[in-house]
Amino acid sequence: MNALNNGTRAAGRNRILAAGLVAVVAAGLSACGSSGSSLPPAGGSSAGKGKPSALTQAQVVAAAPVAAASAITPGSWMDQIKKRGYLRVGGTDSGPLFSQKNPVSGQLEGFDAGLSQMLARYITGKPATKLSLTTVDTRETMLQNGTVDAVFATYTITPQRAQKVDFAGPYFESGDAIMVKSSNSSIKSVADLNGKTVATEGNSTAALDIKKFAPKAKVLLFQEDGECVAAVKQGRADAYVLDQGILLGDAVSDTSLKVVGQPFTQEPYGIGVPKGSAAKKFVDTWLQKIYADGEWAKLWKATIGTKIAGNPPAVPKIGSADGS
Amino acid sequence: MSEILKHIGVLVGGLGVTVELSLLGFVGAAVLGIALTIMRVSPVTPLRAFGTLYVEVFRNIPLLVFLFLFVFGLPDAGISFPLFTSEAICLAMYFAAFACEAMRGGINAVPVGQAEAARALGMTFTQSLRLIILPQAFRTMVQPLANVLIGIVLGSSLGAAVGVSELTGRVQILELQYDEPLPTVGLAALGYVVITLTIALVAGRVQKRMAVRR
Repeated sequence: MNALNNGTRAAGRNRILAAGLVAVVAAGLSACGSSGSSLPPAGGSSAGKGKPSALTQAQVVAAAPVAAASAITPGSWMDQIKKRGYLRVGGTDSGPLFSQKNPVSGQLEGFDAGLSQMLARYITGKPATKLSLTTVDTRETMLQNGTVDAVFATYTITPQRAQKVDFAGPYFESGDAIMVKSSNSSIKSVADLNGKTVATEGNSTAALDIKKFAPKAKVLLFQEDGECVAAVKQGRADAYVLDQGILLGDAVSDTSLKVVGQPFTQEPYGIGVPKGSAAKKFVDTWLQKIYADGEWAKLWKATIGTKIAGNPPAVPKIGSADGS
Repeated sequence: MSEILKHIGVLVGGLGVTVELSLLGFVGAAVLGIALTIMRVSPVTPLRAFGTLYVEVFRNIPLLVFLFLFVFGLPDAGISFPLFTSEAICLAMYFAAFACEAMRGGINAVPVGQAEAARALGMTFTQSLRLIILPQAFRTMVQPLANVLIGIVLGSSLGAAVGVSELTGRVQILELQYDEPLPTVGLAALGYVVITLTIALVAGRVQKRMAVRR
């Protein structure tokens, strides 16, 4: 106790205080629960909901091809993975539609996650992967120092990155689109973003695209998709720019938002593999195979297709991106 | 690396925002901290209870969580501040708890006899605080308060997560552009170290100047 009072009832008071604190925290938490609109919906898990004919991600992966033993050159990148028995994947567990951990089953769900499981199955015979979380800052480094075998992380192929790692693919064509409130009619294209406040994820190249296409826009960086959505809904930002697939996913689950116009950039996603290894050619061959036999399209249906209506897009051409 | 050095102005600007945030946060935390300290050492039980509750609540939640609640939770209740203001308020409110404890620690370090003597002389609570306790307490508060300021400087980097374009936020943009995390993050670290070492140096000077031979 302090010099100015001579109380000695500390123990009893502290106990009452602790009880009060618990009540305050509990009240705070329940308040958040009722207003928790900023959390992204758990995506990808509802494969087949309302569409009984569609396969789930696990079913698609289980039917995926396995490489012939002759394709695995002894001592190569794929041979090491086969000997180890699982594929070490770099990616995320919080990317809706592409790679998100299902909190109930603990499984990774999404297009990137499914592809990595299919590649693991192609090499080792079973869909065994081990995920290491990567960020935009660490992807190249983790491939270079051998922490992961391959990176599946909505990884846009750029010539700059291709100097450090090899890219197989592209395996998916995306592009930045614009999301606004449904009531907003002043933003119709990227040029309308000039002078507006635009939110995007801090670890996405979208921030650079906004600066390039709308130099007068004020860019706000947030960490996750859900926060960007909240920023638009709460009026902190006029628009939210990110890959169209992700924005469509958000807009499908929330009618107060809409995606306007067509993508204004091309974002070819590639699979990052160590530079100079046999991996790039091997993974490209595998991609050709799953493009040709329709496994790629089935996986799209089971993951992204659960949130976006319509048929899978045409498969991208291997090697078409600058840097792949 | 040379490309990043071209953008050194952007980083220095970010450093400026960090300093601005830290100073606003510290002034706020100090004012609020003084009020809380007075509550916690006062003889009035409800005030003491409130002060203790405040300190324990803020000391026991992570700053990032508080920032998120403030930035994304309040607008749902119809209250919305600009992002920079939000972070400054958060830093002030959060670190007021730590400032309060630093000041209370200083007051508690003054021997009880001093307060008793003041009371024996017929001084009121305010008089004894102002004339006897605080002048002596301040000496022991200098270093703990410098620690709080350092905490504020480093804590301000969390603003990058809620869209405030301070030093760390600007580093993020440069990283995206050049894929060179080591030099950019290294430069940011250097910026923070320069600020915090300056604080430590100034605090050392202040303490030396206030030292009294007993």
